[in-house]
Amino acid sequence: MTSAINLVFSNSKYLLLSAVIFSSMLVGLLILSEYVFINPYVVSHIPSGTEFGFVLIVAISALSALVLPMNIFRINTLKKSKQKMGGSVFGSVVGAAAGACSCGPIGFAVISTFGSVGATATAFLTNYEIPIRMIAVGILAVTYFTTVKSIKTECAFDPDL
Amino acid sequence: MNKLGVTLVVIVVVIVAGVAFSLYSPPSETANLDMGRTHGTISTAMGSPILGDPLAPITIVEFGDYQCEMCYRWFHTSKPLIVENYIETGKANLVFVDLAFLGRDSSKAAQATYCAEDQGRYWAFHDLLYNSQERVDDGWANSERLKAFAFSLDLDMELFDSCLDSGKYLKRIDYNIQQAKKHGVNSTPTFVVVGNDQEKQISGAQPFSVFKQILDTMV
Repeated sequence: MTSAINLVFSNSKYLLLSAVIFSSMLVGLLILSEYVFINPYVVSHIPSGTEFGFVLIVAISALSALVLPMNIFRINTLKKSKQKMGGSVFGSVVGAAAGACSCGPIGFAVISTFGSVGATATAFLTNYEIPIRMIAVGILAVTYFTTVKSIKTECAFDPDL
Repeated sequence: MNKLGVTLVVIVVVIVAGVAFSLYSPPSETANLDMGRTHGTISTAMGSPILGDPLAPITIVEFGDYQCEMCYRWFHTSKPLIVENYIETGKANLVFVDLAFLGRDSSKAAQATYCAEDQGRYWAFHDLLYNSQERVDDGWANSERLKAFAFSLDLDMELFDSCLDSGKYLKRIDYNIQQAKKHGVNSTPTFVVVGNDQEKQISGAQPFSVFKQILDTMV
Protein backbone atom coordinates (compact mmCIF):
# COMPACT_ATOMS: atom_id res chain seq x y z
CA MET A 1 0.00 0.00 0.00
CA THR A 2 2.78 2.40 1.01
CA SER A 3 4.71 1.44 -2.12
CA ALA A 4 1.79 2.39 -4.35
CA ILE A 5 1.57 5.78 -2.65
CA ASN A 6 5.36 6.21 -2.94
CA LEU A 7 5.25 5.25 -6.59
CA VAL A 8 2.61 7.87 -7.43
CA PHE A 9 3.75 10.68 -5.20
CA SER A 10 7.45 10.34 -5.95
CA ASN A 11 6.51 12.33 -9.01
CA SER A 12 6.30 15.96 -7.87
CA LYS A 13 3.60 16.66 -10.45
CA TYR A 14 1.17 14.34 -8.58
CA LEU A 15 2.30 15.67 -5.23
CA LEU A 16 1.52 19.20 -6.37
CA LEU A 17 -1.83 18.10 -7.78
CA SER A 18 -2.65 16.45 -4.45
CA ALA A 19 -1.76 19.59 -2.52
CA VAL A 20 -3.90 21.73 -4.82
CA ILE A 21 -6.89 19.36 -4.51
CA PHE A 22 -6.59 19.16 -0.72
CA SER A 23 -6.20 22.87 -0.10
CA SER A 24 -8.89 23.98 -2.56
CA MET A 25 -11.42 21.41 -1.33
CA LEU A 26 -10.68 22.08 2.32
CA VAL A 27 -10.86 25.87 2.06
CA GLY A 28 -13.90 25.75 -0.25
CA LEU A 29 -15.88 23.37 1.93
CA LEU A 30 -14.94 25.13 5.17
CA ILE A 31 -16.17 28.43 3.70
CA LEU A 32 -19.38 26.87 2.34
CA SER A 33 -20.09 25.16 5.64
CA GLU A 34 -19.31 28.38 7.54
CA TYR A 35 -16.35 27.14 9.52
CA VAL A 36 -14.23 29.85 7.91
CA PHE A 37 -15.29 33.38 6.99
CA ILE A 38 -13.33 35.70 4.77
CA ASN A 39 -15.50 38.80 4.88
CA PRO A 40 -15.24 41.30 6.60
CA TYR A 41 -12.36 39.53 8.41
CA VAL A 42 -10.67 36.19 7.95
CA VAL A 43 -11.83 34.17 10.93
CA SER A 44 -12.37 30.49 11.72
CA HIS A 45 -15.09 29.26 14.00
CA ILE A 46 -16.12 25.73 15.01
CA PRO A 47 -19.30 26.00 17.10
CA SER A 48 -19.83 23.26 19.64
CA GLY A 49 -21.82 20.35 18.23
CA THR A 50 -20.42 20.80 14.73
CA GLU A 51 -17.01 19.19 15.30
CA PHE A 52 -17.92 15.93 13.54
CA GLY A 53 -18.97 17.83 10.40
CA PHE A 54 -15.58 19.57 10.46
CA VAL A 55 -13.73 16.23 10.76
CA LEU A 56 -15.71 14.80 7.82
CA ILE A 57 -14.76 17.77 5.63
CA VAL A 58 -11.07 17.24 6.45
CA ALA A 59 -11.44 13.49 5.72
CA ILE A 60 -13.15 14.08 2.35
CA SER A 61 -10.52 16.63 1.33
CA ALA A 62 -7.66 14.33 2.37
CA LEU A 63 -9.10 11.24 0.68
CA SER A 64 -9.90 13.18 -2.51
CA ALA A 65 -6.35 14.52 -2.54
CA LEU A 66 -5.07 10.96 -2.23
CA VAL A 67 -7.39 9.12 -4.59
CA LEU A 68 -7.79 11.56 -7.49
CA PRO A 69 -4.03 11.89 -8.28
CA MET A 70 -3.61 8.12 -7.98
CA ASN A 71 -6.35 7.55 -10.53
CA ILE A 72 -4.92 10.19 -12.85
CA PHE A 73 -1.56 8.40 -12.50
CA ARG A 74 -3.22 5.13 -13.53
CA ILE A 75 -4.76 6.74 -16.58
CA ASN A 76 -1.65 8.67 -17.64
CA THR A 77 1.10 6.21 -16.84
CA LEU A 78 -0.59 2.89 -17.27
CA LYS A 79 -2.95 4.07 -20.03
CA LYS A 80 -5.82 2.34 -18.28
CA SER A 81 -9.49 3.08 -18.71
CA LYS A 82 -11.13 5.96 -16.90
CA GLN A 83 -13.72 3.66 -15.38
CA LYS A 84 -12.24 3.60 -11.88
CA MET A 85 -11.83 7.35 -11.89
CA GLY A 86 -15.63 7.56 -11.56
CA GLY A 87 -15.69 6.40 -7.93
CA SER A 88 -13.25 9.01 -6.74
CA VAL A 89 -14.88 11.85 -8.67
CA PHE A 90 -18.35 10.73 -7.53
CA GLY A 91 -17.24 10.47 -3.89
CA SER A 92 -15.63 13.91 -3.99
CA VAL A 93 -18.61 15.57 -5.66
CA VAL A 94 -21.17 13.95 -3.34
CA GLY A 95 -19.10 14.89 -0.30
CA ALA A 96 -18.74 18.44 -1.52
CA ALA A 97 -22.42 18.86 -2.44
CA ALA A 98 -23.76 17.72 0.95
CA GLY A 99 -24.55 20.73 3.04
CA ALA A 100 -23.04 23.09 0.50
CA CYS A 101 -26.50 24.30 -0.49
CA SER A 102 -28.06 24.83 2.94
CA CYS A 103 -29.01 28.46 3.56
CA GLY A 104 -26.01 29.90 1.76
CA PRO A 105 -25.86 31.66 -1.60
CA ILE A 106 -25.74 28.36 -3.54
CA GLY A 107 -28.94 27.13 -1.91
CA PHE A 108 -30.58 30.49 -2.51
CA ALA A 109 -29.58 30.41 -6.19
CA VAL A 110 -30.74 26.80 -6.62
CA ILE A 111 -34.13 27.50 -5.00
CA SER A 112 -34.59 30.78 -6.88
CA THR A 113 -33.83 29.06 -10.19
CA PHE A 114 -35.53 25.69 -9.79
CA GLY A 115 -38.36 26.56 -7.40
CA SER A 116 -39.92 23.72 -5.42
CA VAL A 117 -37.74 21.06 -7.09
CA GLY A 118 -34.64 23.01 -6.07
CA ALA A 119 -36.05 23.47 -2.57
CA THR A 120 -36.64 19.71 -2.23
CA ALA A 121 -33.12 18.89 -3.43
CA THR A 122 -31.59 21.52 -1.16
CA ALA A 123 -33.63 20.30 1.81
CA PHE A 124 -32.43 16.73 1.19
CA LEU A 125 -28.77 17.74 0.94
CA THR A 126 -29.10 19.89 4.07
CA ASN A 127 -31.06 17.43 6.20
CA TYR A 128 -28.78 14.49 5.41
CA GLU A 129 -25.49 16.39 5.28
CA ILE A 130 -23.66 14.21 7.80
CA PRO A 131 -24.84 10.79 6.48
CA ILE A 132 -24.11 11.88 2.89
CA ARG A 133 -20.61 12.99 3.85
CA MET A 134 -20.07 9.67 5.66
CA ILE A 135 -21.14 7.80 2.52
CA ALA A 136 -18.75 9.98 0.47
CA VAL A 137 -15.90 9.07 2.85
CA GLY A 138 -16.86 5.40 2.42
CA ILE A 139 -16.88 5.66 -1.38
CA LEU A 140 -13.49 7.39 -1.38
CA ALA A 141 -12.02 4.83 1.04
CA VAL A 142 -13.22 1.91 -1.11
CA THR A 143 -11.92 3.66 -4.23
CA TYR A 144 -8.58 4.18 -2.51
CA PHE A 145 -8.13 0.50 -1.71
CA THR A 146 -9.23 -0.67 -5.16
CA THR A 147 -6.90 1.87 -6.77
CA VAL A 148 -3.93 0.75 -4.69
CA LYS A 149 -4.71 -2.87 -5.55
CA SER A 150 -5.04 -1.98 -9.19
CA ILE A 151 -1.73 -0.09 -9.28
CA LYS A 152 0.02 -2.99 -7.55
CA THR A 153 -1.38 -5.50 -10.03
CA GLU A 154 -0.91 -3.39 -13.13
CA CYS A 155 2.60 -2.31 -12.19
CA ALA A 156 3.36 -5.87 -10.99
CA PHE A 157 5.89 -4.70 -8.45
CA ASP A 158 6.85 -6.66 -5.36
CA PRO A 159 5.77 -4.60 -2.36
CA ASP A 160 8.43 -6.28 -0.18
CA LEU A 161 11.29 -5.02 -2.29
CA MET B 1 -59.80 63.52 58.17
CA ASN B 2 -62.48 65.03 56.01
CA LYS B 3 -63.81 63.64 52.73
CA LEU B 4 -61.53 65.83 50.63
CA GLY B 5 -58.50 64.60 52.51
CA VAL B 6 -59.44 60.95 52.00
CA THR B 7 -60.01 61.56 48.29
CA LEU B 8 -56.62 63.26 47.96
CA VAL B 9 -54.88 60.38 49.75
CA VAL B 10 -56.61 57.85 47.46
CA ILE B 11 -55.59 59.83 44.38
CA VAL B 12 -51.97 60.08 45.55
CA VAL B 13 -51.87 56.34 46.35
CA VAL B 14 -53.29 55.48 42.91
CA ILE B 15 -50.76 57.73 41.16
CA VAL B 16 -47.82 56.34 43.17
CA ALA B 17 -49.01 52.76 42.51
CA GLY B 18 -49.37 53.52 38.80
CA VAL B 19 -45.87 55.00 38.57
CA ALA B 20 -44.42 52.08 40.54
CA PHE B 21 -46.18 49.55 38.30
CA SER B 22 -44.96 51.22 35.13
CA LEU B 23 -41.40 51.25 36.49
CA TYR B 24 -41.31 47.66 37.66
CA SER B 25 -43.43 45.82 35.10
CA PRO B 26 -41.48 44.18 32.26
CA PRO B 27 -41.30 46.29 29.08
CA SER B 28 -44.25 45.41 26.91
CA GLU B 29 -43.79 44.51 23.26
CA THR B 30 -45.50 46.95 21.00
CA ALA B 31 -46.23 46.21 17.38
CA ASN B 32 -44.55 48.47 14.88
CA LEU B 33 -47.06 51.02 13.66
CA ASP B 34 -44.55 53.12 11.73
CA MET B 35 -45.13 52.12 8.12
CA GLY B 36 -42.24 54.30 7.06
CA ARG B 37 -39.73 52.74 9.43
CA THR B 38 -36.30 52.44 7.89
CA HIS B 39 -32.86 51.56 9.17
CA GLY B 40 -30.26 53.00 6.85
CA THR B 41 -31.48 52.23 3.36
CA ILE B 42 -33.50 49.19 4.49
CA SER B 43 -37.24 49.42 4.97
CA THR B 44 -37.94 47.49 8.17
CA ALA B 45 -41.56 48.63 8.38
CA MET B 46 -42.79 45.06 7.82
CA GLY B 47 -40.10 43.46 9.97
CA SER B 48 -40.17 42.48 13.62
CA PRO B 49 -40.71 44.81 16.56
CA ILE B 50 -37.42 46.30 17.75
CA LEU B 51 -35.55 44.18 20.29
CA GLY B 52 -33.93 46.54 22.75
CA ASP B 53 -33.93 50.30 23.04
CA PRO B 54 -35.50 51.86 19.91
CA LEU B 55 -33.26 54.89 20.44
CA ALA B 56 -30.02 52.89 20.53
CA PRO B 57 -27.40 54.36 18.17
CA ILE B 58 -26.86 51.10 16.29
CA THR B 59 -29.37 48.74 14.72
CA ILE B 60 -28.57 45.21 13.65
CA VAL B 61 -30.94 44.12 10.88
CA GLU B 62 -31.00 40.33 10.68
CA PHE B 63 -32.31 38.61 7.56
CA GLY B 64 -33.22 35.07 8.51
CA ASP B 65 -35.28 31.94 7.93
CA TYR B 66 -36.71 29.88 10.79
CA GLN B 67 -35.70 26.65 9.06
CA CYS B 68 -32.12 27.72 8.39
CA GLU B 69 -29.57 25.71 10.35
CA MET B 70 -27.00 28.52 10.23
CA CYS B 71 -29.55 30.94 11.71
CA TYR B 72 -30.10 28.40 14.49
CA ARG B 73 -26.34 28.23 14.99
CA TRP B 74 -26.06 32.03 15.23
CA PHE B 75 -29.09 32.25 17.52
CA HIS B 76 -27.44 29.88 20.00
CA THR B 77 -23.82 31.04 19.78
CA SER B 78 -23.38 34.72 18.90
CA LYS B 79 -26.79 36.23 19.63
CA PRO B 80 -26.80 35.68 23.42
CA LEU B 81 -23.48 37.55 23.69
CA ILE B 82 -24.74 40.38 21.47
CA VAL B 83 -27.92 40.68 23.55
CA GLU B 84 -25.92 40.71 26.78
CA ASN B 85 -23.21 43.14 25.70
CA TYR B 86 -24.94 45.48 23.26
CA ILE B 87 -28.72 45.18 23.36
CA GLU B 88 -29.32 45.02 27.11
CA THR B 89 -26.81 47.84 27.62
CA GLY B 90 -28.66 50.09 25.16
CA LYS B 91 -25.75 50.31 22.71
CA ALA B 92 -27.64 48.54 19.93
CA ASN B 93 -31.01 47.11 19.01
CA LEU B 94 -32.06 44.36 16.64
CA VAL B 95 -34.73 43.96 13.98
CA PHE B 96 -35.51 40.63 12.29
CA VAL B 97 -36.56 40.69 8.64
CA ASP B 98 -37.76 37.44 7.08
CA LEU B 99 -35.97 35.91 4.14
CA ALA B 100 -38.16 32.82 4.20
CA PHE B 101 -36.94 30.79 1.22
CA LEU B 102 -35.70 27.41 2.38
CA GLY B 103 -38.87 25.31 2.34
CA ARG B 104 -42.64 25.34 2.20
CA ASP B 105 -42.93 25.75 5.99
CA SER B 106 -40.55 28.72 6.14
CA SER B 107 -43.16 31.29 5.10
CA LYS B 108 -45.81 29.82 7.40
CA ALA B 109 -43.43 29.97 10.36
CA ALA B 110 -42.62 33.60 9.60
CA GLN B 111 -46.33 34.45 9.29
CA ALA B 112 -46.97 32.79 12.65
CA THR B 113 -44.50 35.14 14.37
CA TYR B 114 -46.58 38.12 13.24
CA CYS B 115 -49.77 36.42 14.43
CA ALA B 116 -48.02 36.16 17.79
CA GLU B 117 -47.01 39.83 17.50
CA ASP B 118 -50.72 40.68 17.30
CA GLN B 119 -50.86 39.42 20.88
CA GLY B 120 -47.61 41.09 21.97
CA ARG B 121 -45.53 37.89 21.90
CA TYR B 122 -43.40 38.21 18.74
CA TRP B 123 -40.03 37.64 20.38
CA ALA B 124 -41.30 34.83 22.59
CA PHE B 125 -42.58 33.03 19.47
CA HIS B 126 -39.39 33.84 17.54
CA ASP B 127 -37.24 32.36 20.30
CA LEU B 128 -39.47 29.33 20.63
CA LEU B 129 -39.12 28.59 16.91
CA TYR B 130 -35.32 28.77 17.04
CA ASN B 131 -35.30 26.59 20.14
CA SER B 132 -37.53 24.01 18.43
CA GLN B 133 -35.90 23.86 15.00
CA GLU B 134 -35.56 20.46 13.37
CA ARG B 135 -34.93 19.39 9.76
CA VAL B 136 -36.17 21.46 6.82
CA ASP B 137 -39.82 20.73 6.00
CA ASP B 138 -39.99 17.62 8.19
CA GLY B 139 -43.19 18.91 9.81
CA TRP B 140 -41.74 20.69 12.84
CA ALA B 141 -43.02 24.05 11.50
CA ASN B 142 -46.26 23.01 9.82
CA SER B 143 -49.53 24.72 10.74
CA GLU B 144 -50.44 22.22 13.45
CA ARG B 145 -47.08 22.54 15.18
CA LEU B 146 -47.15 26.34 14.90
CA LYS B 147 -50.55 26.33 16.58
CA ALA B 148 -49.17 24.03 19.27
CA PHE B 149 -46.33 26.50 19.86
CA ALA B 150 -48.89 29.31 20.17
CA PHE B 151 -50.87 27.22 22.66
CA SER B 152 -47.74 26.64 24.73
CA LEU B 153 -47.28 30.43 24.93
CA ASP B 154 -50.85 30.85 26.21
CA LEU B 155 -51.91 32.87 23.19
CA ASP B 156 -55.57 33.40 22.36
CA MET B 157 -55.98 30.39 20.07
CA GLU B 158 -59.07 31.64 18.29
CA LEU B 159 -57.26 34.80 17.23
CA PHE B 160 -54.04 32.98 16.37
CA ASP B 161 -55.71 30.23 14.34
CA SER B 162 -57.80 32.65 12.30
CA CYS B 163 -54.73 34.82 11.67
CA LEU B 164 -52.56 31.91 10.55
CA ASP B 165 -55.24 30.15 8.48
CA SER B 166 -56.25 33.34 6.68
CA GLY B 167 -52.71 34.03 5.45
CA LYS B 168 -53.10 37.54 6.84
CA TYR B 169 -49.34 38.19 6.84
CA LEU B 170 -48.36 36.46 3.60
CA LYS B 171 -47.83 39.78 1.81
CA ARG B 172 -45.78 41.05 4.76
CA ILE B 173 -43.38 38.12 4.33
CA ASP B 174 -43.23 38.69 0.57
CA TYR B 175 -42.41 42.35 1.20
CA ASN B 176 -39.58 41.38 3.56
CA ILE B 177 -38.19 38.90 1.02
CA GLN B 178 -38.24 41.66 -1.61
CA GLN B 179 -36.39 43.98 0.78
CA ALA B 180 -33.72 41.32 1.26
CA LYS B 181 -33.32 40.81 -2.49
CA LYS B 182 -33.27 44.55 -3.08
CA HIS B 183 -30.25 44.82 -0.78
CA GLY B 184 -28.41 41.93 -2.40
CA VAL B 185 -28.98 39.53 0.47
CA ASN B 186 -28.73 35.99 -0.90
CA SER B 187 -28.14 33.85 2.16
CA THR B 188 -29.31 33.52 5.73
CA PRO B 189 -28.41 34.71 8.19
CA THR B 190 -27.19 38.02 6.79
CA PHE B 191 -26.81 41.08 8.98
CA VAL B 192 -26.68 44.74 8.13
CA VAL B 193 -25.28 46.80 10.96
CA VAL B 194 -26.58 50.36 10.71
CA GLY B 195 -25.18 53.26 12.71
CA ASN B 196 -23.09 56.40 12.50
CA ASP B 197 -24.25 56.93 8.91
CA GLN B 198 -22.65 53.61 8.00
CA GLU B 199 -24.00 50.25 6.87
CA LYS B 200 -21.86 47.16 7.21
CA GLN B 201 -22.95 43.76 5.97
CA ILE B 202 -22.01 40.50 7.67
CA SER B 203 -22.94 37.27 5.88
CA GLY B 204 -23.28 33.99 7.69
CA ALA B 205 -23.39 32.75 11.27
CA GLN B 206 -20.22 34.61 12.16
CA PRO B 207 -18.77 34.49 15.69
CA PHE B 208 -19.36 37.19 18.29
CA SER B 209 -15.80 38.50 17.86
CA VAL B 210 -16.64 39.73 14.34
CA PHE B 211 -19.76 41.57 15.55
CA LYS B 212 -17.82 43.02 18.47
CA GLN B 213 -15.13 44.36 16.18
CA ILE B 214 -17.70 46.06 13.93
CA LEU B 215 -20.02 47.29 16.68
CA ASP B 216 -17.16 48.76 18.74
CA THR B 217 -16.05 50.88 15.81
CA MET B 218 -19.59 52.26 15.47
CA VAL B 219 -20.52 52.90 19.12
